[in-house]
Amino acid sequence: MSVFLIKRVLQAVFVVLVVTLLVSYAVRLTGDPALMLTQGAGSVTEEDLANIRTGLGLDRSFLAQYTDFVGHALVGDFGRSFLGGTPVARLLADALPATLALALVSLFLSVLVSVPLGIQAAVHKGKGADQCIRVVSLIGLSFPNFWLAIMLVLLLSITFPLLPPSGWDGPASLVLPALTMAIILSATNVRLVRTAMLETLSAQYIMVARSKGLKERVVLYKHALRNCAIPLITYIGLQFGNLIGGLVVIEKVFNWPGLGTLAFDAISGRDYPVLQGTVTVLSLVIVAVNLLVDVAYGLVDPRIRNR
Amino acid sequence: MKLRTLLATTSLILASLGAPSAHAAGTLTVAVHQDPGNWDPIATFLVAWGSVGNQVFDGLLMRTPEMKLVPGLATKWEFLDKNTKLRFTLRPNVKFHNGEAFDAEAVKFTFDRLLGEEGKKGPQQANYNAIDKVVVVNPLTVDFILKNPDPVLLTKLAGYGAMIVPPKYIKEKGSQYFGMNPVGTGPFRFTEYKPKISLSFERNASYWGGAPKVDNLVYRFISEPATQAAELQAGRLDVANQIPLAMIETIKKDSKLAVVSLDGPTALALRYNTQRGIMKDVEVRKALTMAVDREAIIKSILLGQARPIASFQGSLSFGYDPALKPLPYDPAKAKAMLQKAGVKPGAQIQIDFRGPDSNFREVAQAVAGYLQAVGVTATLKPYETNVLLNDIIPNGKTGEMWQNSWGGWTFDYDNTAYAMYYTKQRWNPFDDNAKLNALLHIQRNSWDQNLRKSTLQEISRLVADLALEMPLYSLNTLYGVNKRAKNLALPADGRFRFVDASVD
Repeated sequence: MSVFLIKRVLQAVFVVLVVTLLVSYAVRLTGDPALMLTQGAGSVTEEDLANIRTGLGLDRSFLAQYTDFVGHALVGDFGRSFLGGTPVARLLADALPATLALALVSLFLSVLVSVPLGIQAAVHKGKGADQCIRVVSLIGLSFPNFWLAIMLVLLLSITFPLLPPSGWDGPASLVLPALTMAIILSATNVRLVRTAMLETLSAQYIMVARSKGLKERVVLYKHALRNCAIPLITYIGLQFGNLIGGLVVIEKVFNWPGLGTLAFDAISGRDYPVLQGTVTVLSLVIVAVNLLVDVAYGLVDPRIRNR
Repeated sequence: MKLRTLLATTSLILASLGAPSAHAAGTLTVAVHQDPGNWDPIATFLVAWGSVGNQVFDGLLMRTPEMKLVPGLATKWEFLDKNTKLRFTLRPNVKFHNGEAFDAEAVKFTFDRLLGEEGKKGPQQANYNAIDKVVVVNPLTVDFILKNPDPVLLTKLAGYGAMIVPPKYIKEKGSQYFGMNPVGTGPFRFTEYKPKISLSFERNASYWGGAPKVDNLVYRFISEPATQAAELQAGRLDVANQIPLAMIETIKKDSKLAVVSLDGPTALALRYNTQRGIMKDVEVRKALTMAVDREAIIKSILLGQARPIASFQGSLSFGYDPALKPLPYDPAKAKAMLQKAGVKPGAQIQIDFRGPDSNFREVAQAVAGYLQAVGVTATLKPYETNVLLNDIIPNGKTGEMWQNSWGGWTFDYDNTAYAMYYTKQRWNPFDDNAKLNALLHIQRNSWDQNLRKSTLQEISRLVADLALEMPLYSLNTLYGVNKRAKNLALPADGRFRFVDASVD
């Protein structure tokens, strides 16, 4: 186990290094932060720009800037935002919980809905219930996420003013963005559960369980679901990456103070330190989720646990 | 059974979370599109800073929403020694929010800081380079010693980098802390800053200009215009500074809300690349300008929220010439002019524009349609905004036409015209006109505002004669407002100051 862990940690470090290196390099090809900061500032001379670049540390080579970033990041110092000078670590510390809360709640909601629905669709394969669930999930898949977000805001905060349309004013604010994300996620998850379940239900041990006279509920939720848990967990783990990607859009629409908004603004403002910090944290989160997925295999499957 | 329990529980939870809270009494809530991240006057040049700066800080002068310069922390000013010295008499008995006294030393400290090493790191210094130094004459009198004329200086002293800051506070706490916890002499006193989320103030009861009517002022940072509109509709905002055009009618229909539309500072044009292909011919450039129906574009795409322009400035700009009319829309004449200039039907040109600007994308498509009608085929090339502004334009890599958009808070054509038309300026990669240079130089170095006005108007006529650009329109400044907020005195440049504002 410890060899496994060390291997995974080394892999994680490698992934984060490569990702931040690529992102830091790529973003530097797309524009000059000094020009961004002085846009509309009237008569700006080349000398003024050079001064600003020096102030931001951009007069050094890319390699020097990158190694400096890595060196400081190792001790938790991600530098200061080009825009205003707020410590990036503080911005990250504020944004990470917001993003994790949104991601986990939407994932949880989605599992809560899609597992029972997916099972029902599989059990009633080809019948009315199955058709119905599949059509609804297809519609769900076809929604652009931002459109769904806007529709939900229109319905639940303007037509029926039940929930705040954006921002963070306590738990009520979480409902709309999480609902949006959950609907989008559920559309795929239902189909996945259905497919995995269909495969499992055709297995011989299910036939055996049924012929033993076990209740259908027990057959489905104890025998079948447990056995198709591994592909489901794998998929949901992989989906986490997509989920984070989707959050960039959803956070923007709901003005959610999370990492997605932070990354989006950092890219459009060429705020290198904030972007580097956000990317580091996001890649760490995704690596950590993958690690958790591996650990979860052992929890649901005694064969792996006892190996 | 289970489902019913679940539903009941859910509705209970929702009920306990509560519907979105109504406005607290006496609090004015404003949405701005960006968090500048630092409230130090010398740290940024963002409009979002300006939306807040006037509530916390005062300048020596102030500018009213009607564009009039009036006394601020200085009660009067006069030019001395052949305009090389500018003397200010300061307002007595003014205190900063932390109790520190405002006096000549504070003015000197502010400008030493702006013009010295610290200001060098920020984008503000360049705007105040005409000031050599500030000399304290007595506690309530200061002299600004000037290196060279800057006819826009008085306006610049009414905002941004010239806002007066507290010397003792900054020396004790440092600039970093000051940037996150601003202290000024303005009508509102800073209470809390949550980066990227909100910024809160309480009223400064001892404000020298009279205490504000509202108890609290809250800014929320909301970058998506559609989200600002939703918040406004939900009754959670008093002022929204970005409203999508498509939402104007919906907001107007809501009995609790209103849309305020003002002549704005932002002008749009399609600049010609005068060194490329058919664009070298001034007659061709004029013909293309005449081929496009700007009135129709404003009416159908911008829903009337803009005005046609004949030069690259809005009507509030110093140097605007009401007598200068745009070239008329006359496709038949345009076609004839193109034929005469030897442009063959089917000639190809390219229009570069800012891809994320969805309104302008539609405008560019309409322009391409009009050009097609006179036999010129335009392809549209969207760029990521920063790539267009920071690479394609300054390095002269544009197509035949490129989107040019310009604003600014000084409302003086000097800044625009100089940056756009003086040889080798950043926004002027293609044109080099000695007469334009001379005129630009004259107006920039004169204190005579009448001479400047006529010179600037001459510049705008000359640019129109040379057809350096296809002037399109100046955009209105739009605000969405909750009618419970009164006396907002909304300005065209987004620099709010809610001293007289009240909420029901």
